[in-house]
Amino acid sequence: MKYILYQLKRSPLAILGIAILLFWIFLAIFGPSLTPFTHTEMDSLHQMAAPGVNNHVLGTDSLGRDLLTRIIVGSRSILTVALLTSIASTFFGIIVGFSAGYFGGAIDRAVLRMLDIMMAIPPLVLAMVVLGVLGGSSIMSLSLIVSIAFIPATARVSRGSLLTCKSSEYVDAARIRGESHLYIMFVEILPNTIGPIIVEATARFAYSIMMVASLGFLGVGLQPPTPDWGMMVIENRPIITDAPWAVFYPALAIASLVISISLFSDFVSKVLIHEQ
Amino acid sequence: MNSNILEIQDLNVNFSIFGGMISAVRNVDLTLAKNESIGVIGESGCGKSTLSYTIMKYIAPNGQISGSIKFKGEDLLQKSEYEMRKYRGDRIAMVYQNPYSSLNPSLTIGFQLDEVTLFHRGVSRKEARELSLQALRDLNLGDPEGLVRRYPHQISGGMQQRICIAMAILCQPDLMILDEPTTALDVTTEAVILDTISELREKFSMSLMYISHDTGVINKVSDRIVVMYSGEVVETGPKQQIFEHPNHPYTRALINCIPRKGMVKERYRLNTIPGYVKRRGASEGGCPFEQRCQKKTPGCVEAYGMREISPEHTAACDRAYATDVPDMMDKLIKSHPVKSMPDGDALLEVQDVHKIFGKKRKVYAVDGVSVSVKRRSVLGIVGESGCGKTTLGQTAAGLYTPTKGQILFDGTDISVSWKKRSPEMLKQIQLIFQNPGRSLNPSHSVEQIIGRPMKKLMEISSAQQRRDMIIDLLKKVDLSKEYLKKKPPQLSGGEQQRVAIARAFSISPNLLICDEPTSALDVSVQSSVLNLLGDLQEDTQAAYLFISHDLHVINYISDYIMVMYLGRICEYGKRDEVIRPPYHPYTKALLSSVPEIDPSLEVGNIRLGGQLPNPTKTIPGCPFAGRCYVQAGKICETTKPPRVNKSDSHFFYCHLDDGA
Amino acid sequence: MNILKTFMRRLGSLIVTLVVMSVVIFVLVEIMPGDVAEMILGQSATPESLEALREARGLNDPIYQRYARWAGGILQGDLGESIYMRGVAINSILWRRVGHSVLLAFTAFIIFVPLSIFFGVLAGVKAKKLTDSIISFFGLATMALPEFVSGVFLIGLFAVQLRVFPIVSIIPIGESIFSNLNILILPALSITFVMFGYISRMQRSSMILVLNSDYIRAATLKGMPYKYVIFRHALKNALLPTITIIGMNMGWLFGGLIVVETLFAFPGMGSLLMTAIRTRDVPLIEACVLLITAIFAISTLVTDMLYGLLNPRIRYQGDAQ
Repeated sequence: MKYILYQLKRSPLAILGIAILLFWIFLAIFGPSLTPFTHTEMDSLHQMAAPGVNNHVLGTDSLGRDLLTRIIVGSRSILTVALLTSIASTFFGIIVGFSAGYFGGAIDRAVLRMLDIMMAIPPLVLAMVVLGVLGGSSIMSLSLIVSIAFIPATARVSRGSLLTCKSSEYVDAARIRGESHLYIMFVEILPNTIGPIIVEATARFAYSIMMVASLGFLGVGLQPPTPDWGMMVIENRPIITDAPWAVFYPALAIASLVISISLFSDFVSKVLIHEQ
Repeated sequence: MNSNILEIQDLNVNFSIFGGMISAVRNVDLTLAKNESIGVIGESGCGKSTLSYTIMKYIAPNGQISGSIKFKGEDLLQKSEYEMRKYRGDRIAMVYQNPYSSLNPSLTIGFQLDEVTLFHRGVSRKEARELSLQALRDLNLGDPEGLVRRYPHQISGGMQQRICIAMAILCQPDLMILDEPTTALDVTTEAVILDTISELREKFSMSLMYISHDTGVINKVSDRIVVMYSGEVVETGPKQQIFEHPNHPYTRALINCIPRKGMVKERYRLNTIPGYVKRRGASEGGCPFEQRCQKKTPGCVEAYGMREISPEHTAACDRAYATDVPDMMDKLIKSHPVKSMPDGDALLEVQDVHKIFGKKRKVYAVDGVSVSVKRRSVLGIVGESGCGKTTLGQTAAGLYTPTKGQILFDGTDISVSWKKRSPEMLKQIQLIFQNPGRSLNPSHSVEQIIGRPMKKLMEISSAQQRRDMIIDLLKKVDLSKEYLKKKPPQLSGGEQQRVAIARAFSISPNLLICDEPTSALDVSVQSSVLNLLGDLQEDTQAAYLFISHDLHVINYISDYIMVMYLGRICEYGKRDEVIRPPYHPYTKALLSSVPEIDPSLEVGNIRLGGQLPNPTKTIPGCPFAGRCYVQAGKICETTKPPRVNKSDSHFFYCHLDDGA
Repeated sequence: MNILKTFMRRLGSLIVTLVVMSVVIFVLVEIMPGDVAEMILGQSATPESLEALREARGLNDPIYQRYARWAGGILQGDLGESIYMRGVAINSILWRRVGHSVLLAFTAFIIFVPLSIFFGVLAGVKAKKLTDSIISFFGLATMALPEFVSGVFLIGLFAVQLRVFPIVSIIPIGESIFSNLNILILPALSITFVMFGYISRMQRSSMILVLNSDYIRAATLKGMPYKYVIFRHALKNALLPTITIIGMNMGWLFGGLIVVETLFAFPGMGSLLMTAIRTRDVPLIEACVLLITAIFAISTLVTDMLYGLLNPRIRYQGDAQ
């Protein structure tokens, strides 16, 4: 704990990252009640209004919807999906990676082979095609598909950190007193691999935001009327010369969230990896 | 102009770290004459390496140096990085502990040799290559032309270290610094390299600074000895003086920690130094050894003086006393000698066990070994790395199943893996590993670590009952109950190994397999662990299978000794039958390679050439034939050597009836 | 010798991967809701004509027969016909698009690879100094930045404000991409950001790892000049892992292509795939995904072989001790 504070004091960027992240979490929870508009309400008199006009703090889009409200409401879904995704993909990654690495041999080869095949399609293409084919994404289906697309990556990290511990003699010691596989995996090995896995999970959080935003941008993310940051960018892309704010503010929201998580993740890795 | 190559005065090196300044080298004065060889000795963390890197002016950015290092009259500490280049590798050369990682993996050996003369001598590429080849020839390396085209990973560790030495002598330096150059190597290789170093020193009239934790090695290569403790020089003097009349309490204690030829567990306890080397803050004063010293006075906390015993010999203790070593040894004689050589029946029987790893590329790790561990006795297995001793131990423990052959424990067949062994059987056999840091789970507390086997195998479910037993066990291994809640990373290496021993004894096993239990420890800690293991064996009457590469340790602790080479038995018998005198040529070579510190002992001169044969091929004849110096003829290559029985308990495998 | 053996083995596994992938893609897309016949003939078609078309196209056959027919066609170089574009052969539209995408990927590649390696090495050499902090922060910030986000900022600056590059990447009818190379710049730069973030960070840590190694210390204490140590001793070892990293990131690059092609309306394979998905054009989706998979797999194979060739430890594995 003392060490965390010591490191925090020495990294102003981490403080900045954590502050921005907390800001977005705060907005996602309390934000919608703070704005006078709803995210679907169309102000027909003020389409493509500049920031500040008629109480539209960040302006409106081509249909006259309030951008700030839409961004705030949009933060809820993207944070939810990204959080679910990073937890789920880390969890499945541990299960898959641990069982492959621990048992080794044929199981390991089979799992690696499967992951190789999964990785043969770029994750974004995979998610995009599956979501496009299924149509009509919900928060659950989106989280599930993105998690699956991330499993090869998280499973490899888990497997790798398991392998560094597996050859340790404390594992041998547990074996020769007849411990079960589950005990060895989760009581002996897991606590010692948790550092890299948490680091990977926080980095995965940033990648999830990136992926979800990109899917929204490609039109296969959450369906209207739920506001989606990525979709807001592509919707307003045609009016970029007339109402640049309608494109830039959602883009800025994505950028700030992603960067804040990256900074946070970097700090987590500094603390956790250094400690060992 | 005096003849000193190196004069170090009042050298201090401090590092700033999380939590303050620590002192790595302090108040060091040292001189090294032309042609002289000094040995710097001390345990890990005593600042030996930092001292050597400071001479090269190469320390981490968070380090601060003060004092002066005069090399042939010029103060190196005043030199710029650019000027230092003219010294490094040219006038002062260095050889490191780990040859493999000190060579660049992606460049050929020739390239790495050539660049030294290319830069320092400004010669052409062709001349540089010629010089490199000459250096390799100076070291008597076969096929230098082939060698220069290879990459480091393609040659053996001993060969890599010789390449590093060749690299160091390319410019015929005035001073060669060797930082534990043979620590990572086997004794027979070490012996060859130490000979080479002495030869080169004479040939090029270099001064040597040899750093090691091994008193035997230091005795072999140096004229004068510097003993370091916690960054300070505590004693310095001629070799003879230091070993025969050590004055500083640390030197005396250190020398007596080492099990020597005459010392066997029935008669002697090993001297121990309580505690361990602690890092000292830059502002802390007083005698560095005060906390561990058995002769300290209250005044030692603040100050201590230097005492000159003779013009050449000084010790940093004002109550330095010159009692002879034998006196000190007397105190270590056990008052009730243990009944020696227990002659029980076999507890563990290994019958023609083979262990082959890999399917396509087979590695014959253990190649037909039959041996038994008698009840209440200690069988010591000794051999160099790759001889299969660890595999044999782990197979007995159940971590591997034998490819062929049988293992019987108390008459029951246990040639199955741990998965198929009954809890009762698992309880009988325990294993202690080489590296205590890796054998204790770093995220579990000491209580969890020791308590788990009790819960699992003895089915003691009451936590309070377990805790009482754990506290008892901790007491037996000299740890207090404050250790219950600590986790392994908070403990020193010696404390960790004690916890590991407590864990092994928590379920009262009948057989304890000790796999190099002291190799990762400093000698002062090694001796206390050996004492502890000896005492526990007396108390519990458990049998030990004790595996080590260190002949001294094996000789001290074992009742029976087995010498292994390349997966096979060379020689087996009661301790004294094997050691005095040895029969098998390999046993003999091993004994003669071990560096000794007793000047009275005759130094062996059998040196093994060649390398360990490829373990992926089966050997039709004697595994040692390729390196043997007393061959019986062609037969050694073609036919397995017969078993020669010297007595009921003593045999060896050789085509020559009397061995070497 | 060893390399060749490895290559053959890898090639074999690549083919297996592609076959498995083709099955997966086919099954996945075929279960897509919606009736192909209806899509071709429109909402107003009679049940009889729909059935006739299904029969004629073999849509009523079991799925393995349809797969065999499709895969057989691919092996003969026939990718089938687009549904949305009323029976146009996919071959006639796809390859031009693939060419454009490859050109775009290549442009991005020659920008981000040298850039990330250079700055990664620089940050590693200057570790913990100001230069390093700036590069590292920049890398961290762009590491997970979606391509369309960096893209819209680039458009805002270079197309809307400065007007030096076109706002969309459209090739006028009748012209080829080579007379419109300026449309490549902004899309390629958008991809560069995210790639730079990841690769430069990896390059930095591998450089730091190498610089802290024993052999670099040994080289320095042999009296070799600093720059020589960096370039001759450190660089090659530090670059080796980067090759693998770049190979692994080709997947992200292809994902990024789709995003930027959509953002810039760039006439490439990615935007074609987007259109195919939006219009539920089954054969076109299958063709695009299979092609992306194939290109990705080949690029991974190439980087792996390159790594093996450059690393003596792997090159001479056979006779290692």
